[in-house]
Amino acid sequence: MNRRLTYILMRLVRSLLVALAVVFLSFFLIRLAPGDAAEVMAGQSGYSDATYIKDLRAEYGLDRPLPVQFWRYAKAVLRGDLGTSYERREKVLDVILQRLPNTLLLDAFALIVAIGGGVWLGSVAARRPGSAGDAAVTFLSMLFYATPQFWLGMMAVLLFSIWLGWLPPFGIETMGADYTGLVRLADVARHMLLPGTTLALYFMASYARLTRTAMIEVADLDFVKTARAKGITERQVQRRHVLRNALIPLVTFAGLQASILIAGSVLVENVFSWPGIGTLAYEAVTARDNPLLLGIFIVTAVLVSLFNLATDIAYSIADPRVELAA
Amino acid sequence: MREFARRFFARPATVAGFAVFTLILLVALAAPLLFAHGPFSIVGMPLRPPGSPGLLAGSDVLGRDMAAGLAYGARISLLVGVTSTLCAAGVGVLLGAVAGYYGGVIDDLLMRITEFFQIIPSFVLLMVLVSFLEPSLGSIVLGIAMISWPQVARVVRGEFRALRNREFVEAARTLGESDARIIFTQILPNALPPIIVISSMMVGSAILTESALSFLDLGDPNLLSWGSMIAGSRSAMWVAWWTTVLPGLAIMATVLSLNFMGDGLNDALNPRRRER
Amino acid sequence: MAGALVSIRDLTIALPPGAERANAAEHVSLDIGHNEIVCIVGESGSGKSLTAHAVMGLLPRGVAVTGGSITFQDKDLLRLPPEGMRRRRGRDLAMIFQDPMAALNPVMPIGRQITEQIRAHRPVSEAVAMDAAAALLGQMGLADVAGLLRAFPFQLSGGQRQRVMIAMALSLSPSLLIADEPTTALDVTTQAQILRLLKTIQAEREMSVLFITHDFGVVADIADRVAVMRQGRIVESGTTAEVLGNPTDPYTRALIDAVPRLRHAPPVPSGAAPLLTVSGLGKNFRRGGLFSRDKQIAALDGVSLSIGRGETLGIVGESGSGKSTLARCIIRLLDPDAGAVLFDGADIAHMKPRALRPRRRRMQMVFQDPFSSLNPRQTVGNIVTAGPRAYGEGGAASRARAADILALVGLDPAAMRRFPHEFSGGQRQRIALARALMLKPDILIADEPVSALDVTVQAQVLKLLDDVRRQMNLAMLFITHDMRVAAQVCHRVMVMRAGRVVESGPTSEVFAAPSDPYTRELLAAIPGRDRLGFAAAN
Repeated sequence: MNRRLTYILMRLVRSLLVALAVVFLSFFLIRLAPGDAAEVMAGQSGYSDATYIKDLRAEYGLDRPLPVQFWRYAKAVLRGDLGTSYERREKVLDVILQRLPNTLLLDAFALIVAIGGGVWLGSVAARRPGSAGDAAVTFLSMLFYATPQFWLGMMAVLLFSIWLGWLPPFGIETMGADYTGLVRLADVARHMLLPGTTLALYFMASYARLTRTAMIEVADLDFVKTARAKGITERQVQRRHVLRNALIPLVTFAGLQASILIAGSVLVENVFSWPGIGTLAYEAVTARDNPLLLGIFIVTAVLVSLFNLATDIAYSIADPRVELAA
Repeated sequence: MREFARRFFARPATVAGFAVFTLILLVALAAPLLFAHGPFSIVGMPLRPPGSPGLLAGSDVLGRDMAAGLAYGARISLLVGVTSTLCAAGVGVLLGAVAGYYGGVIDDLLMRITEFFQIIPSFVLLMVLVSFLEPSLGSIVLGIAMISWPQVARVVRGEFRALRNREFVEAARTLGESDARIIFTQILPNALPPIIVISSMMVGSAILTESALSFLDLGDPNLLSWGSMIAGSRSAMWVAWWTTVLPGLAIMATVLSLNFMGDGLNDALNPRRRER
Repeated sequence: MAGALVSIRDLTIALPPGAERANAAEHVSLDIGHNEIVCIVGESGSGKSLTAHAVMGLLPRGVAVTGGSITFQDKDLLRLPPEGMRRRRGRDLAMIFQDPMAALNPVMPIGRQITEQIRAHRPVSEAVAMDAAAALLGQMGLADVAGLLRAFPFQLSGGQRQRVMIAMALSLSPSLLIADEPTTALDVTTQAQILRLLKTIQAEREMSVLFITHDFGVVADIADRVAVMRQGRIVESGTTAEVLGNPTDPYTRALIDAVPRLRHAPPVPSGAAPLLTVSGLGKNFRRGGLFSRDKQIAALDGVSLSIGRGETLGIVGESGSGKSTLARCIIRLLDPDAGAVLFDGADIAHMKPRALRPRRRRMQMVFQDPFSSLNPRQTVGNIVTAGPRAYGEGGAASRARAADILALVGLDPAAMRRFPHEFSGGQRQRIALARALMLKPDILIADEPVSALDVTVQAQVLKLLDDVRRQMNLAMLFITHDMRVAAQVCHRVMVMRAGRVVESGPTSEVFAAPSDPYTRELLAAIPGRDRLGFAAAN
C-alpha cells in the first residue's frame, strides 16, 4: 500500500509540475501576440489615445519588469483568474466553464465508443491473422487514420442528415423545442450520435490496430503456451492471459490520446456547431480574442494532465511491475 | 539497392501507395503549367458539376476551377508536410541521439520536455501559436515542427539508448573508436529504419494538421489549400457535393498513400522482422 | 516396448515454407515407459523441442503434424478432438518450459496461476485449490508459502520460479511430465538443485518424465534411457549406460566427446612475468530512483589477480558474481571505483581517455553473444578492419592483413564482402576473434565466448582460442559460468561469488582439492561429473 501511495504522490507532483510549466509557457506565449493587451483593449474600446494606453498599462502592471509580471500572472491563474475575454467582456474562466460540460459529454461518449469498438475489432482481427476479416479491419483502420476528421464529419452530415434525413445535422438539441427531462436527454442523445461517432472513428482505428498488434504479440509469448498446457479452455486463455496482458499498453495509450481527442473535438464541434470548447476556440481565433484562446489552452492542458494522472494510476493497477520501477 | 526495391514493392498496397503519391507529386509540380490561370481566377459560373465543359472537377461557390484548386492545394500540402517533417526530424534526431547516447542530465531533461509535449493538447497550442504569430506558411510550418519534434526525439532516444548497450558498440569502444564515430557509423545506421518510417508517417500527419488549420481559418490567407477549399464550400455542401468531397478525397489519398509507403519502408528496412 | 505409457510412432512434423528444412521431425519413433526418465538430447535445430510440444498438442502456428501417431494411455492424441486433448492437458500430461520468467503470466499472482490449473479440471472452490497450491509449494522446498502465493513472478528468483512451474505442473498428479530444457536458463548450482528435485519427485510419484536437453552431462545424471536427435531424426537410442558407454553413431560420439572435461591438466607456463596485475578492484552500482532509498550494490569488492604471457586465467562464477563487471572494468568499458589495474607498468584504472588510448589497443575483447557483437549493417571486412581504422591505419595493408587473419581463424577471406547475418553463430565468433586480433593485442579477454554456441561448435571454438593463444603468445582472461569449459582451457582458475574472489589457483589443484565450500558446491553441481569421467585430474 505504501508503495502505491508513493507512486500516486509522485504522479500528482508530476501533474502539478506540468501545470506550472503550462502557466510558464502561456506567459511566454502572451509575449508573442502582436501588440500588448493594453493596445488591444484600447483599440477595441475605441480610444487610441497614447495617455490612455499608458494608464491602462500601469493599471494592468504591463510596465513592470518581466519577473514581476510573471508572478502576478501566475498568481492570477492559480486563483482561477484567466483574464477577461476581449470580445465578451466576461471572465475567461466563466465563459469556458459554460461550454466545457458539452465538450466533456461529447468526448466521453466518443472515448467509450472508440475504446469499446476498437478493442473489440482489434481482438476479432487478432484471432485470425491473415484472414479476410483481419485484412478488412486493417484496411479500414488505415483508411480512417488518413481521413481528416472535419471532412469526415461533413460527409456524415451529407449522408445521414441531407440524403437520408435520419439524424439532425447540427447543434446539441432541437432549437426552440424546450424539451425537459427524459425527452430532452433523448433529444441530446440523437444530436450527439453523429458528432460523437465521427470523433470516435479516428480513435477506434488507432485502438483497433494497437489491440490487434498487442494481442498478436502477446499470443506468441511463452506464458500463453503455459496457460494452454494447463488445460484451461481457449476462451479463458484469451481472456485471462492474452487480453489481460495486451490491454496494458492500451491504458497508457488512452492517456496519450486525450490530447489528440481535444484536437479532434475542436474540429468536429465546428462542423456540427456543437456548443463546446471547440467552437469557442474557433470563435476566439476569429475575434482575435487572445485571452480566451490562451485560457482554453490552459484549461484543456490541465484537464488532459489530470486525465493522464488517472490513466497512470489505472496503469499501475493493471501492471503490478510498475510500482517497483517508479 | 535492388534488394531494397524488391522488399519495398512486395506488397500491392505499397505499390498502389507509391503510384498514387507519385501522381499527386507530379500534379503538384506541374500545376503552374496545367493551370496557368492560378487557383484564384474565376473561370466560369459557380457550382458547375464535374464534367462540365472545361471544368474537369467542376467549379466552386465563386466560380473558380476546382481542378486548379486541387492541383495548387497539392503544392501547399506537400510543401508543408515535407518541410515541417524535415525540421522536426532534424531537431528530433539531434537531441534524441545525444540524450540517448550520453544519458544523464541531458537525457532526463529531454524526457521531461517530450513528456510535457505529449501531455498538453498540442493542437490547441498550435492554434495559439499560429494565431499569435499571424497565419502564414512560415508560421504553420514552424508551428507544426515545434509540436512534432518531441515524438521523433523520443523514438530516437529510445533507439540510441538500446543500441548503446549492444555488444557491437562495446566492441567499437574497445577498438578505440571515438564517440562521434560510434554515433555516426555504428549506431545511426541501425537507428535509421524507425526514423525513416516515423518520418513518412509524420508527413501524412502534418498534411492532416495543415488542412485542419486551414479549415479553421488559420491557414495562409494568400494561399489556397485543400482545407480552406473545404471550409469555403460548407454553405454549398447541400447542393454541390463535389466542392467538399473532392478536396477531402485528395487529402485522404495523399495521406493514405504516404502511410502505405511507410509500411513498405518498414518492410524494406527491417527485413528480418517477423511477419505481422 | 510393450505397455509403454507413451508410444510415438513415425512422427513427422512439418515446418512452414521458408524454414531451413521441410520437416522439424521426420519419422520419429520413441517409447516412454512407466516410471522412467527418458531424455531427448540434441543441438539447436534438432527438432527435439517441437517433438515434445507435439505430444502436448502445443505446436505453434504454422507448424503441424503431417504423419505418425502419439499413443498415450491407449489413445492416439493426434486423433483426439480439441476438447478431449484439452481435458488431458494439465491433468494426465503436463509440461514445463525453459524460461520460467517468460512462462508465467507477469500480471497474475502465483497462487492464482496454480489454482487456475486445479480448478480447470476439478470442481473445487478457490479456497480449497489455494490450500492445495500451498501444500505443493511446500513440497517443492519453497519457504514463505503464504507470501509466494500472493506474489508476482517478477518478485521471485529464477530457481523459485522454476519450482513454482514444477509445482503447477504436478498439481493434478499427471502420469507424464514433459520438461523442455527446464534448467538451461538457470545457474549451475540452481540447476543441480532442480535436477535433484525432479529426480526425487519422479521416484516418489512413479511418474514418467520426458526431458529435453542439449547437455549430455544432464543426460548422464538423470536419464534412464536416452534418444539422440539430429536434424529431425533420431540417430541413436537406448539405455543411458548403453549410449554413454558404447555409442554406435558417429554423431552421438561427437556429442559426447564435445562435452568439455578435465582431460589432462595443462601445465602452468613457467616464469612468465605478469603482464597484467589487478589489485583491490572495486565497483559499485547505485540502484533506485528519485524517491526510493539509495541502494549501493558492490558488484566488485577487493578483486585481485595477475596474468602473464601465454597463460589462460579462467574467471568462473554464476550470474551476479561480478565476472563480467570485472572484465569490463579491466578493459575500461566501465570505470572502477577503487583499486588499480597495472598494465605494462602503468595504472590504467583511472587513466584519462587520451593517455589510455595507446595502451587500450593492446587489450582486446571477444563477447558472449555472436548475434549482437557484430554490427548487422556493416560488412565483415569493415567490421574486422574497424580497429586499425580507428587508429588511422586503414587502407590496403590492413585489408590484406584482415584476409590473413580471417584465414587464421578458419574463414574464407571472401567473407569480407558479406554481412554477419549470413554466418552461423560459431562463424560469427570467429569473425569477432579476427576483429580482436587485428590490433595485435597482448591480452585477450574472452567474455563467455562459447556460452551461446552449440556444444560441437563450442569445442571447435575453444580449440581455436587455445591455438591462437599459443601461436601469438597472448595472455587470455577467460570468463565462464561453466566449470567444465574452464577445466578444459585454463591453466589457472579464479572462482568469484557476489563480487569477491573466493578461491584461485592452478586448475588441477582447485578441481582436485577445493578449499572453499562454494567452490565445492560448484564442482558438485557439474552435470554428469561422475559418469562422464569428470573425476579429478590425474
